[in-house]
Amino acid sequence: MSAADSLRFYAGVNLGCAALRLNRWRAERTAPRRQSEYLAPPLKISPRTKELIARHYLEGRYANGHRKVAWVASGAPVELLKALDFYVLYPENHAALCGTARAVEEIATEAEHAGYSRDICSYARTDLGAMLSGKTPVGRLPKPDLLLACTNICQTVLFWYRVLAHHFDVPLIVIDTPFIYTEATDHAAEYVKRQMEESIPIAEKVAGKKLDERRLKETTRLSKMASQLWLEIMERGRHRPAPISVFDQFIQMAPIVEMRGDAFTVDFYAAMLKEVEGRIARGIGAVKNEKKRLLWDNLPIWYRLRYLGEFLGARGVAIVASTYTNAWGELAPMIDPEHPMESGARTYLHPILNRGTGYKLATMKRMVVDYGLDGAILHNDRSCKPYSVGQIDQRDRLLREHHVPALLLEADHNDPRAFSEEQAANRLEAFVEMLGV
Amino acid sequence: MTARVDLPIPIPHRIETVRAYKSRGGRIAAVLPIHYPRALLRAFDILPVELWGPPQVDATRGSAHLQPYVCSIVRNALAYLLSGGLDLADLIVVPHTCDSLQGFASILIDFIHPTQPVLWIYLPRGNHAGNVAFLADEFRALYRRLAEITNRAPSDAELLESNRREESADARLADLHRQRGALPPTVVEFYRLVRSREYLPAETFIEIAERVGGLSTLPPRGSAHDRLPLGKIPLLLSGIIPEPMGIFDALDRLNAVVVADDFAGCGRRLYPPGKSDDPFERMAERILAAPPDSTRGSAIQERLQHLLRLAQTSGAKGIVFYDVKFCEPELFYLPALRKGLQDAGIPSLVIEIDLSDPLSQQVLTRLEAFLEMIA
Repeated sequence: MSAADSLRFYAGVNLGCAALRLNRWRAERTAPRRQSEYLAPPLKISPRTKELIARHYLEGRYANGHRKVAWVASGAPVELLKALDFYVLYPENHAALCGTARAVEEIATEAEHAGYSRDICSYARTDLGAMLSGKTPVGRLPKPDLLLACTNICQTVLFWYRVLAHHFDVPLIVIDTPFIYTEATDHAAEYVKRQMEESIPIAEKVAGKKLDERRLKETTRLSKMASQLWLEIMERGRHRPAPISVFDQFIQMAPIVEMRGDAFTVDFYAAMLKEVEGRIARGIGAVKNEKKRLLWDNLPIWYRLRYLGEFLGARGVAIVASTYTNAWGELAPMIDPEHPMESGARTYLHPILNRGTGYKLATMKRMVVDYGLDGAILHNDRSCKPYSVGQIDQRDRLLREHHVPALLLEADHNDPRAFSEEQAANRLEAFVEMLGV
Repeated sequence: MTARVDLPIPIPHRIETVRAYKSRGGRIAAVLPIHYPRALLRAFDILPVELWGPPQVDATRGSAHLQPYVCSIVRNALAYLLSGGLDLADLIVVPHTCDSLQGFASILIDFIHPTQPVLWIYLPRGNHAGNVAFLADEFRALYRRLAEITNRAPSDAELLESNRREESADARLADLHRQRGALPPTVVEFYRLVRSREYLPAETFIEIAERVGGLSTLPPRGSAHDRLPLGKIPLLLSGIIPEPMGIFDALDRLNAVVVADDFAGCGRRLYPPGKSDDPFERMAERILAAPPDSTRGSAIQERLQHLLRLAQTSGAKGIVFYDVKFCEPELFYLPALRKGLQDAGIPSLVIEIDLSDPLSQQVLTRLEAFLEMIA
């Protein structure tokens, strides 16, 4: 760490943050630019979300030389790195941001030109394209000093992070989480815990400091609190009309993914919960004329969030629950801040993506009942095999055994070239008609 | 049993082997790719018969459960199962090789419910101190499931004996790879021979391999490098599995010869002997000591060094990555591997195939152009 780098960090970040605060202050006091005829106005907390995300990437821009930087897969046990004061960047989150900014086609093409097939995950292609070209809507990404991949969301991250490790020539920690077909075994939990323990000296060496157990417990406690609040927010979707839709959740989930373990994340979700409860009290629904309520399965289609929200909203259809956003809250009860390693091993072993197709079906069925849903849209995501394989049978079971209308919607979470708007509109239109709207 | 190919030594057919094994009271396990403990299954008198697709089956039934972006190995395997192709199998074993096979096993267990029990093993990724212990525990869990199914409980001594037999077969397999240039079979016959390890009992394979190896014109520790066929262009092939096997005939017609391979189903399964006296740990050690493999998440540099070594020792002038379409583990590695090979002066070509399709004219044209370039 150099004094000049630190000076540059504080100057850049402080100035930038002041500008971001001013932007937020203005946004909070002006009406949203785009008012929808069918949807409630955006949550009032949205300018704060924008500020949090912008500040996060702003800090990243100046992080090299001032703080150690880790690039981390979204399902990884980040608390260890937070407790060691790493600046943490989530490539998946960055890729999603590129998706919402409609920048994927240009950036992913850079990776494709370098030989990366269009058959690999579009998140990976986006980030590899950014890595190779420097193109990003956030200005500049810091170079990593350490990489942390965890296989609990897919095997893809492992291969992806191998490429990153090769390119940046930095250490890669792999936390390997055996897939749970039925029940997790004790030896699997022990295997994950051992890996987490093994990762500490590697991370400490890069960080240049020792892990403080109290810090780890505190970070874990903050992670748990934020996850619990997030879960509560999503559960407010059980009200009719639902105060927020999954499209709101997709936008508001960035902090729970990339800012777990920070106190301001807890404050943020506490404020969001308050706002959502205020909406319930005032009878405000995310869809103004809510007639039907649906479940969303799989990742969002980041580049068509608004289109889908408007399309369905115009027909009185609200998507109020999602297996994807739920994944970032459902494990909160498993986290034990007093035993961060043991509970961390169990928690990080159990995300929905690391569990069998039957478990996902059971989750969908439970959500249909809990949220009083009329059907489900299963995003058949070309870029996410672990989430998508099994959906054909899941849809079939929902329909045949549980009489829940369900639609498989073909797309890709980040690559607009794999999405046909006309075809999607036709299928959605037919599905909505079938729901009797 | 009849000879399948025109080898000096006949190789029993897959189906005949299965029937013969069953007729004497043994069981059959249909095993999906790639790495699994053969010795453990054989200790229960279960013959592992591997299922790599198979190629050129009607994949329609598989497509009723799997998306079009799932590779043809997995899709064909499901189609084959659903059309009764695995009716002779008593159980199905699915190693956790990739996200697609993970989904395959999961939908079998949760939704399709085949008549046979479905067993799985998870293979550790990354270089962790606890890998051997974890994989050994996975094998112990598999042992318990197999004991339930068969009502047998092989002793440690029996497991070690089974290990010894498989290690011996794998040593013969490694010999064949080393001697390949000095053996009488053509390349396609050679691959039929080494791929018979996918279904032959170790003892049968050892017998055949020793007889074929005895025909070698190499001294016992010689290198096949010095026996390159004159005028042929030496190639190294990498990928998951050499299917359709017509690739070898095509290469022969194009005046090329495969002198080494890095196929997940072939060269990446040259397991060295284990060291431990514990049979489960010994099985785990062997798999984890195999050559670097994308599906086990090996580091790019490790894979690159391995390919460079193979190219150097075999005298290969170029590398063809002959991959199954949609194979993410392979696809991620290709750009960095190709760049590393290029920097070392070794040209490479990527060909993607679907197991349901025959070798296309387009592939042949690309191969021809590549060979012209490196000749």
